[in-house]
Amino acid sequence: MEYILTVMVLIGINVILATSFNLILGYGGLMSVAHPIFYAIGAYCSGLLAIHLQIPVPLSILIGAGIAMVLSFGVSLPSLRVSGDYLVIASIGFQLGILHVINNLDFTGAAGGLTNIPVLNEGPSRSLVFVLLIAVVAACAVFLVGWIVEGDYGRAITAMRNDEEAFSALGRNAMNIKIVLFAIGSGMAGLAGALYAHYFAYVTPEQFGIFTSAALLTMVVVGGAATTWGPLVGAVLLTTLPQAITFLGLPVSIMAPLQGVIYTTLVIFFLFARPQGLTGGSRGGGGLEAWSASAAFRARRDAE
Amino acid sequence: MSTIVRVENLHKSFGGIVVADDVNLSFETGEIVGLIGPNGAGKTSLFNLISGVIPPDAGSITLGDHRVDQLPMHHRARIGLARTWQNTRMFHSMSVIDNLLIATRRYPGESLARILFRRRALDAFRQEATEKAVALLERVGLADKMHEMAIELSYGQQKRIGLARALMSDAACLLLDEPMAGVEGQAYETIIRVIREEAQAGRAVCVVEHNISFIRDISDRTVFMFNGCVLASGSVDELTRDSQLTDLYFGGEHPQ
Repeated sequence: MEYILTVMVLIGINVILATSFNLILGYGGLMSVAHPIFYAIGAYCSGLLAIHLQIPVPLSILIGAGIAMVLSFGVSLPSLRVSGDYLVIASIGFQLGILHVINNLDFTGAAGGLTNIPVLNEGPSRSLVFVLLIAVVAACAVFLVGWIVEGDYGRAITAMRNDEEAFSALGRNAMNIKIVLFAIGSGMAGLAGALYAHYFAYVTPEQFGIFTSAALLTMVVVGGAATTWGPLVGAVLLTTLPQAITFLGLPVSIMAPLQGVIYTTLVIFFLFARPQGLTGGSRGGGGLEAWSASAAFRARRDAE
Repeated sequence: MSTIVRVENLHKSFGGIVVADDVNLSFETGEIVGLIGPNGAGKTSLFNLISGVIPPDAGSITLGDHRVDQLPMHHRARIGLARTWQNTRMFHSMSVIDNLLIATRRYPGESLARILFRRRALDAFRQEATEKAVALLERVGLADKMHEMAIELSYGQQKRIGLARALMSDAACLLLDEPMAGVEGQAYETIIRVIREEAQAGRAVCVVEHNISFIRDISDRTVFMFNGCVLASGSVDELTRDSQLTDLYFGGEHPQ
């Protein structure tokens, strides 16, 4: 039972992460892979505040999310100058740079990780309560993103993703939108990290590396980028799948790389066979099509 | 007549390629200026410089009373500059009407705070913008395509949508980059009519176009560019009588 509840907590965390990543990557078309670092910033900041300053856990969680939000400038500012592949590289640099710092500081626990983080709630039904809490937070995340990307603001986001230059030439301020999308998305990731830290009471730097970026990307792509429910479907699927494989009883030496193989295979399969993801419609909207069409369109235009 | 756009001593080069070489130009209210020249003469680059896609190396650009050459693109648009693009640049995952609704001078929906706290004002604004967009689509003869995806329309239709989109902001200056490419028949007349009406309403219009008869039909003054320089200015007939210019247009040597 405890195992199932723990998996459900992980699902909830991943739903928040994938949904917020989708806001930046799917809807915003902002090719950052640094999303896990905001997850880390939320987890570490909240954990450290609770450990060293004895700040009440609920408050430290909010502060952790707030710090992630503020530090999102680290990626949103480069995104004002570079886009596409160059933003991918800048964001990797940001992610690995901060990870390196965490890895080498004593007070963050260095490579060994941060331990003895105070938990949010205790008691016999601790996990169940936490699952309910995280379900509510995840639902709020899905609806918040759904609200942001609809209507007038959503129109602006879509236009920016389609063609930033034409968008700016109409008098629209792409800079503001990028900063807002990164701040909200990263704040949500920070919240997920803080919740994680105060449930498991332990975080290590290796949880927040490129592998996690790849996992989140897979969730978004498989579920359907730039769709409301896609990241949710992707997160549920890609959190349970690796858990299911553990029951196969394979040796660890095969298990660990197998996960990576599965993620990669899924991304490649979906890129070719179903770019709109599991939930994306057939036209004019969601999915990877939203970018691949943009990319193809731009390439054609530039060739002319 | 008063000057809407004034370009003075404008210079721009990419490495060894000079796209603007000491360009001096002005567009007046109510005037339609035709901008012609062979491919690579710097016509579109001039539009890019004026609208802010690329920054100039030297020189100044004023729009009304504002010096704009150092301002970002969206500021210039808000002051009163609108342009179309050679390759239409529709927002391809959006409907035709949405392509227009995003193009108002002021767009309150750009701010999440306003969406949260000024709902009613926003609804009123959207209503007003929608009416305006529908009216513009009727003017360019595409009101029935309103809810279709912009990218699914023909190239000529996209050109007309692009023109309508540029008109959403009531800009004082319109820069139209090859509005006639791919446009035929009835639509040709429609575009000529719309551009004339906009000039009569007091806008300064500059049109880049390879279709010389169109430029002859529509422009009050024609400017000939070559290798980033403004070589001559006058009526189309005056320019085409100059054999040196026609040679250049059809692939001659640079005059020494």
